Order: sequence, then C-alpha cells, then structure tokens
Amino acid sequence: MTDYETADRLTRRRARIFPLLAAMFVVQQATFFVGRIEDGTRTVDQVKISAWLVLSIVLLLVLATGGSWFKSAKVRALMNDDVTRANRAEAFRVGFLATMIGAIGLYFVSMFENFGGRDAIHILMTIGIAAALLRFGFLERQALRDG
Amino acid sequence: MAERLGNRLHQLRAERGLTQAALAERVEVSRKTINTVENGIFVPSTILSLKIARTLELPVEEIFSLEG
Repeated sequence: MTDYETADRLTRRRARIFPLLAAMFVVQQATFFVGRIEDGTRTVDQVKISAWLVLSIVLLLVLATGGSWFKSAKVRALMNDDVTRANRAEAFRVGFLATMIGAIGLYFVSMFENFGGRDAIHILMTIGIAAALLRFGFLERQALRDG
Repeated sequence: MAERLGNRLHQLRAERGLTQAALAERVEVSRKTINTVENGIFVPSTILSLKIARTLELPVEEIFSLEG
C-alpha cells in the first residue's frame, strides 16, 4: 500500500471516529456529573478527574495535530494537507464559539445556582472540545464524499 | 457580489484518463483535496492551483475561472 492509499484510508477512519469520540466524551461527562464529586480528595474522585483531564488533553492533541502520530512524515503530511487544515481551523472556530456561548449560559445560570469553578471549567471544556470534534468530523466526511 | 471559483478539473482529469487518486499522487496531495477542489467545496491556494496546472501542463486560467 502506498503512502497515498494509507493516508486516504486513515483519513476516512478519522472522519468516522471523530464524531464517535465526541459522543463518548459527552457521555463520559454526563456520568461524571451524575456521580458528583464534592471535594475531589477521595482516590476514586481523583482517578475520575484525572481520566477526564487525560482524555480531554488527548482529544485536543488529536484535533490539533490530526493524530496518527506513529505514521511516517509523508503520510502525516498527506493527512494534514490544505483541506484538513482549513477544516481544522473551521472546527476550532466552532469550538471557540460554542465555548463562549456556554460561558454566557453558565454566567446566567450562576445567578440562580451555585456551582464551583471546577464544574464550570469541566462543562466549558466539554462543550468546546465536543463541538470542535463534531464539526471537524462532519467537514472531513463532507470532503471525502464523492462528487 | 458573491463570486465563486469555477473549475474544469473533473473534465480535464477525465480527458487524461486519470483517477482522482492518480492525479492526487502526481500533485502530491491527498485524494480528498482533489475531490473537494473538483466539487467546489474547497478553494485551492495559489500554490496548489499552480501545482495542479503544472501537473496537467496547462495555464492555471484554463483550469480555474471566476464565476458569478
């Protein structure tokens, strides 16, 4: 298989996986808030918080770099060519807007309900990352669709 | 007035008997890039337009034109 074929196959896989990752990420956050963490000092809470943070960082890195970190430079370059970079920029724009809208929403909610800074950060990061992942996945699928 | 970039890439590629993948390999981009340019989803950069023109051995204005 040539580098071009490999890049095409991995790009298709990435376009399929990103929306699923976004859904998994959001579901994981839902379970986080159901089993609410009070002070974060229990080991189980620390594991939960660490898992969320690690997953968030990994998803951000995958989104920012395109993933496939262990493939050759040529394959990675093909997977991150002009169209992908344009799609990524658009995904980050949508992620930023979603985060800002979420922040405005939380500001109003905070007038009626008390919640901690950690919860706010958690919600905003989830909104931003999930929105960007979904948008990137949608744009990549659209780009791969034949004429 | 909203202008858009038209192109004859699909026709020119077909005339040469090239698949999207084959043209992509010659231009050294992904098939996805050729697909999006052909379908008008992506407006290529000047560099990419010139690379496509060089590969097809045509002036860039014979491939791309302003519409609207």
